[in-house]
Amino acid sequence: MSRFVIVAATVFGLVMGAAGSAQAADTKEIFDFYCAQCHGTAGDGKGVNVTKDFATDPRNFTNKEDMAKRTDEDIKTVIRDGGPAISKSPLMPPWGATLSAADVDGLLAYIRKLAK
Amino acid sequence: MRLLAVTVSLGAALLVTMTAPSYAAGGDAIFKKSCASCHYTDGPAKEKTIADQLAKKGPELFYAGSKFQKDWLTAWLQAPKPIRPMKYNSLTDKNAGDHPKMSAGDAAAVSEFLMGLTSKEVKAGVIKAGSNVQGKNIFAKKMPCSGCHEYSDKGAVRGGKSGPSLVGASKRLNPDWIYAYMANIKAFKPVRDMPDFGSVLNPKDLENVAAYVASFE
Repeated sequence: MSRFVIVAATVFGLVMGAAGSAQAADTKEIFDFYCAQCHGTAGDGKGVNVTKDFATDPRNFTNKEDMAKRTDEDIKTVIRDGGPAISKSPLMPPWGATLSAADVDGLLAYIRKLAK
Repeated sequence: MRLLAVTVSLGAALLVTMTAPSYAAGGDAIFKKSCASCHYTDGPAKEKTIADQLAKKGPELFYAGSKFQKDWLTAWLQAPKPIRPMKYNSLTDKNAGDHPKMSAGDAAAVSEFLMGLTSKEVKAGVIKAGSNVQGKNIFAKKMPCSGCHEYSDKGAVRGGKSGPSLVGASKRLNPDWIYAYMANIKAFKPVRDMPDFGSVLNPKDLENVAAYVASFE
């Protein structure tokens, strides 16, 4: 019985672990494709579009203190509806017609994990 | 029986002749040999996932005839200069400017072939290129296209680098295509890193931006 429990738990853990990494990989793919052009692949706000002409500093997701000031709802709103929806720069465009609600939830979790 | 076979064959040949697109002989063959490994021309758009888009080596061209201006295309194929600051699908590697060149004859034939590939999504005669305050305000401030696209500001190139440059758009792009692309982007490029502005800007705003971008030197 105990052996069965261990085997079952191991299999369950492997399945969940695999599912977890697949989800993370998908969200990283979404982040790298849509967000990294301004926020950088490391999420530090240093994307390729950030030149001297870029009128704002894209959010640095690795800054823990800064990110603590943003609620989950703020982050989801700004992804869906763009910067002006939370009185921030329009250089953050609205992605609501591009990303699904699940994509936005995934990005929120991904961004939160970048804060150090 | 033989008569029937001949009749059917003749009918089929006639049908093929009648439905074949009109382009100079050879343009499609040159394209297949020299360009088709990086660009596809049989629409509609094939990409369904980000991985599909990232697997492409160059832009889809199934609506090239609605997008480009023929004189520009013919000249560019002979002396291609980078349109995107960055390598296609890359945010880290610069565009190496290594697009193959064509002879004048091949360029004319391929250009003729590509200009025959049009999209019914693009309505002709809707947008007249011209600078306008409303379009400029959207481009630079309200929904800043300039965040991702380069443009010329009194001779100085400014703007972001992830999208194709819009410097010289007045000679390269069809104004009506610029409008149609923004208004219904999914029909052209279902998976792309540009937001869907057709869902947030009204048609008049889109017209103004399209006219403004179409005026770019």
